[in-house]
Amino acid sequence: MNTATIDQAAIQAVKVPTAVVRRSTATALSARGEPFMWALGAALTVGIVMVIGFLLFVFWNGLVTFVPKPVAVVTLKSGTMVAGEPTRSEFYRLSPDAMRALPPAEAEKMATNGGYGHRTLYRIGNYDLYNEDFRWVPDHVVGNIDYPKDVIFVERLEWGVFVGRIKSVKIGDRDLASPTPRDPALLAAHEEARARWQTIRHIERDLIGHVNHDLEALRLDVRHAEIIYGPSSGQAEKARAAEAAQVPALKAEYDRLTAEAARLKSIDQLNAITLADIAGKEKVLPLSNLVRFYPANDLSFFDKVSIYLSRWGEFLSDEPREANTEGGVLPAIFGTVAMTLLMVLVVAPIGVITALYLREYAKQGRLVSIVRISVNNLAGVPSIVYGVFGLGFFAYGIGAHIDDLFFPERLPAPTFGTGGILWSALTLALLTVPVVIVATEEALAAVPRSMREGSLACGASKWQTIKNIVLPRAMPGIMTGIILAMARGAGEVAPLMLVGVVKLAPTLPFDGYFPYVHLERSFMHLGFHIYDVGFQSRNSEAGKPMVFVTTCLLIGVIAFLNLAAIVIRSRLKRRFAGSQF
Amino acid sequence: MLDIANVPADPVFEPTAIHPKRGEQGEVIQIQGFNLRYGAAQALFDNNFSIERGLVTALIGPSGCGKSTLLRCFNRMNDLIDNLHISGHIEFDGHDIYAPNIDVIALRKRMGMIFQKPNPFPMSIYENVVYPLRIDGVRSKAVLDETCERALKAAALWEEAKDRLDASALGLSGGQQQRLCIARAIAGDPEVLLMDEPCSALDPIATAKIEEMIDELRGRYTVIIVTHNMHQAVRVSDNTAFMYLGRLIEYGDTHAVFQNPQRARTQDYVTGRFG
Repeated sequence: MNTATIDQAAIQAVKVPTAVVRRSTATALSARGEPFMWALGAALTVGIVMVIGFLLFVFWNGLVTFVPKPVAVVTLKSGTMVAGEPTRSEFYRLSPDAMRALPPAEAEKMATNGGYGHRTLYRIGNYDLYNEDFRWVPDHVVGNIDYPKDVIFVERLEWGVFVGRIKSVKIGDRDLASPTPRDPALLAAHEEARARWQTIRHIERDLIGHVNHDLEALRLDVRHAEIIYGPSSGQAEKARAAEAAQVPALKAEYDRLTAEAARLKSIDQLNAITLADIAGKEKVLPLSNLVRFYPANDLSFFDKVSIYLSRWGEFLSDEPREANTEGGVLPAIFGTVAMTLLMVLVVAPIGVITALYLREYAKQGRLVSIVRISVNNLAGVPSIVYGVFGLGFFAYGIGAHIDDLFFPERLPAPTFGTGGILWSALTLALLTVPVVIVATEEALAAVPRSMREGSLACGASKWQTIKNIVLPRAMPGIMTGIILAMARGAGEVAPLMLVGVVKLAPTLPFDGYFPYVHLERSFMHLGFHIYDVGFQSRNSEAGKPMVFVTTCLLIGVIAFLNLAAIVIRSRLKRRFAGSQF
Repeated sequence: MLDIANVPADPVFEPTAIHPKRGEQGEVIQIQGFNLRYGAAQALFDNNFSIERGLVTALIGPSGCGKSTLLRCFNRMNDLIDNLHISGHIEFDGHDIYAPNIDVIALRKRMGMIFQKPNPFPMSIYENVVYPLRIDGVRSKAVLDETCERALKAAALWEEAKDRLDASALGLSGGQQQRLCIARAIAGDPEVLLMDEPCSALDPIATAKIEEMIDELRGRYTVIIVTHNMHQAVRVSDNTAFMYLGRLIEYGDTHAVFQNPQRARTQDYVTGRFG
């Protein structure tokens, strides 16, 4: 008994080895992180699809805009005829009144469709005759749709498109018998008329413009001398004498040019075409007023391609007309590129030098932190605020003082005291400088300390080290900042509307008159052009295709500028890439 | 950085043991009562010794003993660090290098430095070597070419690099890059070469080449080399300074320090009992 008790105690005292609990080797899905990765990947896919879809949409619409379309002649049940390019069609809900007015059979058909009818939008042109460019034609009023081969589509200098037939053509003093759109005599006469029109434009704009410029320069010289030296001073006398000596010759030249232009215009009037719209209303036009005409329903593939290319050529190389909804956008392309490059010229040195000071020279302390935070926050200021600032500070502040000091003779007409390409570039430089500063600071901070120490240990000064080692090494990063700044600046429109962009600039910022670069001039911009054509023109339906084409072009221009900068950056990077063997 | 209160070792230090001098060309650098602290943390305590001209001096000691800090004081590389406080003197050729009127750039031109990790510039081999001359505004092609060849030969890199002088220096191997950095330092025509663990990132063969080269530089340059490798100190140096916790424990002829140390700490360290 006793021993048994002891045994019991001994047994209880012995530690029974329990199973060792090992760490579980299974990994939960949440620990692996795959669901997060899938979600992130899906989000990225959605984003990319949206961007690509948007680009495809814009580019598709932009690219098909200039394709010549057939012209349909619609005979309505009422007997009226409508001719035009079918633009788009849609289902629409008829108003109850319209339903009641329908014939019972039609009304029943509509009712089975839930009150929806179908209609097509035709671009009928002939704005001067009917006061509308586009017309909706509901399907239920259509009697017959036809594509006659003799209907022509005409793009005119004024009043937009004309759709109709050629009635008669007068070339000089002879009439063409039964003219067709492919009549060689008509085509030759048209080409000649266009060339003559170009000559008239050259005389009126360039030659007479030059004479006017010289006259204005003489007048300004006199005014300048009178303001600076006094109206009765010797300098003013001399300027007046010079003006008196040169004005007669210039006036004579002016008269000669005007007479020449008038002569050409009178010849122009002799070459006229009489067009008739589908209902028979006639319209007489000088041949030179026709930009392009073609038999829309009788085109071979080759004809279509050549019209398409010719329209692109006009778009890229000509000036806008018809309130920007037709013609080209050359001044806008030029303005966009010039302004962006000017902005880069300003923003790159300012941003890089600021970042160099902040990162390399300034004592890192509270003040520098505050400056840095402020710079970062500048990037978040709404861009229109920069526009207001640019207008107030650059144009009305600095610009007005420049005018007072250097161009007093032109006042009260402002020279620099109003919006211009220079002020726009400076305003956008302010807007984008934080991007360059931040990127440059990052790039400078990424230059290894060992590089700097190696240079300093060789006896280089701080500036030599920065110039020879740090800056070249940081250059790809700095370029990235400049690319970002450029991309942001080129697409910005809101501030530019206040500081220099206009709907239609009469002159480019660069021309043949001394000093050749006129940074005070206002300019056109593709971004503003999109806004103007799409939302400010008399006919937004007519402007819509141009919105797509111009958007295409703006994206293209920005992509091209960025691509150029990226090529430069990759060249720089290659220099620092390791082995060359 | 170095908080003396948390170090368990005996805080009592005997005075530095200095062995007799062995060089005949006098002293180039004198360190007198030199203290240094980073903010509140003191890294160097009252160092007193002199570097002999034309000899190779090794600075040894365990990590954090302040040997690199001391080396970087010689050419004032530590100036880049904020919140650094020093007291005492370091004299180079009899002039206090921390005197307010000293020209730091001129000082660095007289002292080349080689760093722990090779730091060639992202340029061609040629431009790397002649960088000190470019800084001085030397334009003559003949002078540049001659200096380049001389420096590369002195750094034992000429045979490997002479056919690809215009290739990027970043394409060289680690050992070649380090010899290129030595060539760059030599091209600047310094009097003193400061080497901060120059072989720690290299393999044994590259290390051997560099040690061989240091041996050839002896006499023309005063070399001060910081090393973790005691065998390397024995192989290349004439004098050795053993530092511990910011203090110089023992200094003098390398063989004397290694074979007949005067201090117990030196004995322990060189025999591998700690460190």
